[in-house]
Amino acid sequence: MKKNWITHNLVLKLIALGLAVMTWVYVNGLLAKSAP
Amino acid sequence: MLTLIWSSFKPALEIIILWVAFYRILVFFEGTRAFQVLKGIIYLLVGFLLSLVLDLHTINWLLTNFFAIWIIAILIIFQPELRQGLAQLGQQSPFGGSLKETEIMTTIEQIRSTIFKLAAKRVGSIIAIERENKLTPFVESGVVIDSIVTEELLQSIFMPSSLMHDGGVIIKGGRIVAASCLFPLSENPNFSKIIGTRHRATLGLSEQTDAIVVMSSEENGEIAVAADGKFIPVSDQKHFTELLTSFLISSQKKK
Repeated sequence: MKKNWITHNLVLKLIALGLAVMTWVYVNGLLAKSAP
Repeated sequence: MLTLIWSSFKPALEIIILWVAFYRILVFFEGTRAFQVLKGIIYLLVGFLLSLVLDLHTINWLLTNFFAIWIIAILIIFQPELRQGLAQLGQQSPFGGSLKETEIMTTIEQIRSTIFKLAAKRVGSIIAIERENKLTPFVESGVVIDSIVTEELLQSIFMPSSLMHDGGVIIKGGRIVAASCLFPLSENPNFSKIIGTRHRATLGLSEQTDAIVVMSSEENGEIAVAADGKFIPVSDQKHFTELLTSFLISSQKKK
């Protein structure tokens, strides 16, 4: 029941980080294109 | 100066917020049937981003134009999970908290007290304690409870007159999450055929997951703990506490 904060669910954490970076890059790209 | 610091810190903050959000979504769906659908959506999302990077216009057009349909499909497919997820929002720490040793000990004490009283009355019971592997598929087969672990509630659940006495109870993070759950039966050929279904379910769950499963038998009033596909008969209350402490506290310290 007691979990190590870093290694617990490490794969999911890395997938989530990848998705977060990709989303941020994509949305920023869109915003940069639409900026006047 | 402050504006400069803020503008360089802002992207990191945004990514951290997105990271936590994506992580919570993944953890929430992990182990459920909906997780397969979520995986499919993630593949499509990655495909969409790749199509942008690689300038694959046709793929990008298709994925973009079907996006509105996806949203509706997601809302319909995940309707029960979304409702449950929104209800749970804010109840947990961003990356999943860990129980303190004292809280684990309290849970063990409540289980010990319950299981020995049930065994003395020759009442059968199975209690599974979740560790790393999610027991969500088994939770879905039972009745969701979500309550703190108390001896009184556990005893009431397993009383033969209770509607939920068939099946097992699942405990996760110091809370009873569900009762009347169906566990997989062990197909271990070394296990005597005359052993009852409760024994087989206890062993079966411990074979398929890393959960700690404790049981009391209605036939002979014996108590056993199953872990990693092994059945350990319990001799007395002290032995029971030692076993659960070693599985739930000591083994974690070694990691």
